[in-house]
Amino acid sequence: MAVKFFGQFLVEKGLVTRDNLLAAIELQDQKNLKLGEVAVTMGYITAADIQKARIAQLSKDMRLGDMLVDMGLLTIVQLCEVIIQQNKIHLYIGEALVLVGALSPEALQKHLDAFKADQAQYVSDGIELPIHSANNSIWEMTADLTFKMITRVLDLQFRTEKCTIISRIAPAFMLAAMDFSGDITARYLISVSEGAQQSIARAILCEQSVEHEPVEVLEDTVREFANVVCGNVAAKASQMGIDMEIHPPETLHPPLEGLPVPDGFTALSFPIHIQDGDRMELILLVRE
Amino acid sequence: MKRVLVVDDSLSVARQLEKIIAESGDFTCVGHAKNGAEAIRMNHNEDPEIICMDMNMPGMDGLTALRTLSVMDKQVKVVMVTSLGGVGDKFTEALKLGAKNVISKPFEAEGVLRILREL
Repeated sequence: MAVKFFGQFLVEKGLVTRDNLLAAIELQDQKNLKLGEVAVTMGYITAADIQKARIAQLSKDMRLGDMLVDMGLLTIVQLCEVIIQQNKIHLYIGEALVLVGALSPEALQKHLDAFKADQAQYVSDGIELPIHSANNSIWEMTADLTFKMITRVLDLQFRTEKCTIISRIAPAFMLAAMDFSGDITARYLISVSEGAQQSIARAILCEQSVEHEPVEVLEDTVREFANVVCGNVAAKASQMGIDMEIHPPETLHPPLEGLPVPDGFTALSFPIHIQDGDRMELILLVRE
Repeated sequence: MKRVLVVDDSLSVARQLEKIIAESGDFTCVGHAKNGAEAIRMNHNEDPEIICMDMNMPGMDGLTALRTLSVMDKQVKVVMVTSLGGVGDKFTEALKLGAKNVISKPFEAEGVLRILREL
């Protein structure tokens, strides 16, 4: 019940072995060329140009293709041609598994259909954001996955309010926070009321009552919920070609005046109303 | 019954796994470690046949512990349990380091036990 890539799905279900998958991945590594390598084989740039672009990437946060265009080493039309060529010659994991003898072509199609059905529940529904950022698709996906996990993992009925930009994080019973780094820097926060924390704990621990659970355990369940969402966000982002690392979750107890939004960040708030008047809030601190 | 060591910094995840193991009828939990270093120590002391280990932990993380265990103890079978299972690079890295499989969070009892019984 999680975001997966196809090879993982096959291994988890016992449809291919771990060794098969590793052999297929090794074949992919041999065959699949990176964008820069494709551009070189097409005669548009040299290896030295790639090196220059990589050095420039250390001080400017841009993907290689965009950097090559920015530096005048590729035109936009050439970049598109390179991407088309890269997709044309790309060996997908399913095809690689057929080539190493782990699957027949017929079995591959059958398993692909099952995989699509399994993952259909993680296709994002549209979520409107009040900002225009290059990473809007990531923030929409994060909010969408949070809502989906509230339904699937916590089994809670809820309704959401429209996303707004906030200048201060409101005080709450507790917050769980997790940081993203890599291609994108951001902080994921889930704010909960006391009742919401109890609902989360009951679901995570599979217990009817959590009245006698220590505070440490109750807070841990909210951190774990954040961890599950953020891990799945990282998985979906990797499918979109974006590398996102996550760091272990932490608990915050904001003071009565709330918490300031750090300089250089915009705070997106997604209020969530769950049963019996309890409240959660998803807050994303995104770099401007 | 096969002996399982649970390694996760999250108390609630450890409780979930311990419950699944206890109710399985064919596995028994021999302990709970909260980070990679403790996992290595408990592997030596408790001698489990299987380790269910989180990837993302403070201190020594799961992949570092896995790398160490694969050298120190070639008998124990390690399954990673992680919210990052769907990240292809992480999944592949775990398998290359010697993990037998990766369980993605959120998990269900049936999925966990199927993977453990295949070991």
